[in-house]
Amino acid sequence: MGLRTGIRMGLIAAIVTIFLILIGVHMLMGRLLQSWFRVPAHWPGVWLMVVLLGMWAGSRAVGQMKARSWGNALLAGASAGIIQGALVGAALYLLASITQAGVDLRTWLNQMSKESIGALTLGFAPLPAAGFIGGVLLVSALAGAAWRERRLRVRAARLARGERMISLREHLLEIPAISQVSNNPLSRRVLIGVFMVLLLIAPFFLGQYWNYNLGTVGIYVILGLGLNIVVGMAGLLDLGYVAFFAVGAYTMALLTAPQPHHIQMSFWLALPIGIVLAAVAGILLGIPVLRMRGDYLAIVTLGFGEIIRILSKSDVLTGFTGGPRGVRNVGHPVLFGKDIGNEFYFFYFILIGVILAIIITRRLEHSRVGRAWRAMREDEKVSQAMGIYTLKYKLMAFAMGAALAGLSGAIFASRNSFTGPEDFVLLVSINVLALVIVGGMGSIPGVILGAFVLKGLPEMLRELEDYRVLVFGALLVVMMIVRPQGLWPASRVQLERPRPELAEEVEAPAELAEGEVGS
Amino acid sequence: MIILQLDHVTKQFGGLVAVSSVDLEVPQGSIFSIIGPNGAGKTTLFNCITGFYRPEAGRIIFDGVSLVGLRPDQIAALGIARTYQNIRLFGRMTAIENILVGQHSRLKSGLAGALFRLPRTRREEQEALDKAHQLLDFVGLSGYGDMFAHNLPYGQQRRLELARALASEPRLLLLDEPAAGMNPKETEELMAFIRRIRDELGLTILLIEHDMRVVMGISDIVAVLDFGEKICEGTPQEVRCNPRVIEAYLGKGAA
Repeated sequence: MGLRTGIRMGLIAAIVTIFLILIGVHMLMGRLLQSWFRVPAHWPGVWLMVVLLGMWAGSRAVGQMKARSWGNALLAGASAGIIQGALVGAALYLLASITQAGVDLRTWLNQMSKESIGALTLGFAPLPAAGFIGGVLLVSALAGAAWRERRLRVRAARLARGERMISLREHLLEIPAISQVSNNPLSRRVLIGVFMVLLLIAPFFLGQYWNYNLGTVGIYVILGLGLNIVVGMAGLLDLGYVAFFAVGAYTMALLTAPQPHHIQMSFWLALPIGIVLAAVAGILLGIPVLRMRGDYLAIVTLGFGEIIRILSKSDVLTGFTGGPRGVRNVGHPVLFGKDIGNEFYFFYFILIGVILAIIITRRLEHSRVGRAWRAMREDEKVSQAMGIYTLKYKLMAFAMGAALAGLSGAIFASRNSFTGPEDFVLLVSINVLALVIVGGMGSIPGVILGAFVLKGLPEMLRELEDYRVLVFGALLVVMMIVRPQGLWPASRVQLERPRPELAEEVEAPAELAEGEVGS
Repeated sequence: MIILQLDHVTKQFGGLVAVSSVDLEVPQGSIFSIIGPNGAGKTTLFNCITGFYRPEAGRIIFDGVSLVGLRPDQIAALGIARTYQNIRLFGRMTAIENILVGQHSRLKSGLAGALFRLPRTRREEQEALDKAHQLLDFVGLSGYGDMFAHNLPYGQQRRLELARALASEPRLLLLDEPAAGMNPKETEELMAFIRRIRDELGLTILLIEHDMRVVMGISDIVAVLDFGEKICEGTPQEVRCNPRVIEAYLGKGAA
C-alpha cells in the first residue's frame, strides 16, 4: 500500500522535477531569492526548490494513503524519494556528462546553460553530483512524509476528541488580540483608522514607480468591485465588461482632449458624464442581451465588448474617436489652478474612488436590491415567483457595474494622458473576471486581495521576465485546485438576534454548521 | 366567495396536451387539493396559475383580476405564493435572507434608498427583519436563522420554504407535494400546520399531493386530474368512491 503510492508519487514528482530543471526554473528561484531577500548567491534558491520538491513528493504520497501507520508512511516516503532521486539523478548525470563532453545543450533547450547545470552539480563530476541530488531528494521526501504523517495524526486526534475541524479564520480568532479586534467595534475602527493613515502617508515614501503601480491596482479594484456586482451578486457572466471601461475612458478623452473635438471640458465635469454614459451604455447593451442566460450571455457580452473596441478604431469613426491612433493629451484634473495629474495625486484620487466603490457595494449587498440580485443568482425562476422583476434587477446590476467601470475608465484615461483601442482588449475583461474569482466571488476584501495578487504581484515578479506568464498561470491553476472558493470568500451575514430563551437550541446549529467548512 | 377561478384552461407542449380545458373554482378559505397520477398535469396547472406558462386557451381569474399574460412577479405581488415539489431555496443565502427575499413584493426601497441609507429604507429594513424573526419562530426554525439554506436538514428546508412563501403575505398559497419525503409523524405535523395557517392567517390553500392520508385528512374539496383532464371533483368521500378515479389510479378492471 505504502510502497505503491510511494512509487507512483515518486514517478510523478520525478517528471515534474526534471521538467522544471529543463526549463530552468531552479535558476529562476535562485535569482528570485537573491533579489528579494538579498541572498548573496543563487545556490540557496536552487536547492530550496529541490528540497521542496522532495518534501512535496513524500508528503503527497502519505496524504494519499488511507491507513495510518508510521511504518507505511516512512515506506511511502522512502519509495517516493528513491524513485524521484534515482530518476532526477540519472537525468542530471546525463545532462552533466553531455555538457562535459563539450556539447552545448542550448541548441535544443535554451535554458540549459553551463551555469544552470553547474548550479545543480556544484562543480562535482557527473556521478557524485547525481548521487548527491538523489540523496537530497530522498532525505527531503522522508522529511516530507514524516511531517505529513504527524500532521494527519494531530488532526485525527482532534477529531477523535470531538473537536470539529476549524477553518483558518477560526484559528486566527483563537488568538486573543485578533478576536478582540474583530469583536470590538471600537478597536476595529481604530485598526481601520490606522490602516487609512498608513495609506494616506504611503505616497510620500513610495516614490513614482510604486505610486503608479498601486494606482493601477486601485483602478482594477474599482473594476473588480463593479464586475463583482454583475457576476458575484447578480450571477450574470459578463465577458465584455471592458466595454464600459472604454466608454468611461473615451468620454473623458474626447471631452477633455484638444483633438479631435476641441471641447476641452474640465476633468471634473467630464468625470460624472463618463460615469453616467457608462451606466446608460450598460442599460442599452443590457436590454437586448439580458434575456439570455449563462453561457449564451457570456458569449453575447464577449461579442459586444469586441464590437466597442473595433468601433473605436474603425476608419469610419476616426473623425469622432481618433481611430487606431487613439486620443492624446487627455485632460488632467486641476484643483485651485494647480494641475494635479501626476501619480502622486492620482493615488489619492483613485483611493477615493476605491472607498466610494466599497461603500456602494457594501450598502447594496444587504439591501432589498442586493438580496434580489443574489436570489436571482441562486435561482432565477424562484426569484421571479417571489415577486422579483428579474429584467429590471438585471439592468440595475448591469448599470451599477458599468458606472463603476466608467469611473475607473475615466480616471485611467486622464492618468495616462492617452487612450486608444489597444487599452480595451479582451484580456482586460478576463483579468478583471480572474481577479474577482481568485479573490472570492461576492466578497469585497476578496476582490481587493485579488486585484493585488493579479495586478500587483506581476509587478513584483518583474525579475522573472519571460517566466512571468508561466508562473502566473501556474499560480492560477494551483489556486483553483487548492482554494476554489477564492482567497477571501464571502462570509455570511449574521442577522438573527440572539434570544435568551433559545440558549439551549443554539447548540444544534453549531454542529450542523460543520458541513460548511471548506465548502 | 370564489377566490380563484379557472375557466377552460388548456396548455399544450407541441402536440402534447398537458392540461385540457380544466375548470376549477377555489372558494376563499378552503383547502383545495388536486390529485392525479404522475404526468396528469398538476404541476403544469400550477405553472399556469403562477405565470410561468401561458395557457393557449381559457381564463384564470384571481379575486377579479385576470392572470393570463401577467408576469410571475406581478402575480406574486397580487398575493399568490408557492412552494416546489423538489425544494428550491436560495442555497447560498441564510434562512433569514430567504425569508427577506420572500417579502420582496411587500417592500419598496430601491437603489437610492440603499445607497443613501434613507430613514425610510432603514425603518423598512428593520420591520422586515422583525417580521422575518416572527416567521422563523412561526415555522419553528428559531436558532437556524443565520445558517445557509443548503446546510439545513431536509425537514427544516421544507419549513423554510413555507416561511418564505408566507413572507409575501399571500392570500392564496400553492403547495406542490409538501409531504414528499416525510415520515408519518412529520406528515401529521405538516397537516396540523397547513390547517393552522388557513385558520390563523385566513389563507386559501391549493395543494398538490400524492399522500392520500394528507389529501383525505385535510381537504375541503378534491379535484382529480388524469391526462390533463379533470375527471372528477367533490368532497374527499365522494372522490374516493368515484369509479373513474379508481380506474385512473389502479387501471381498468379494478373498479
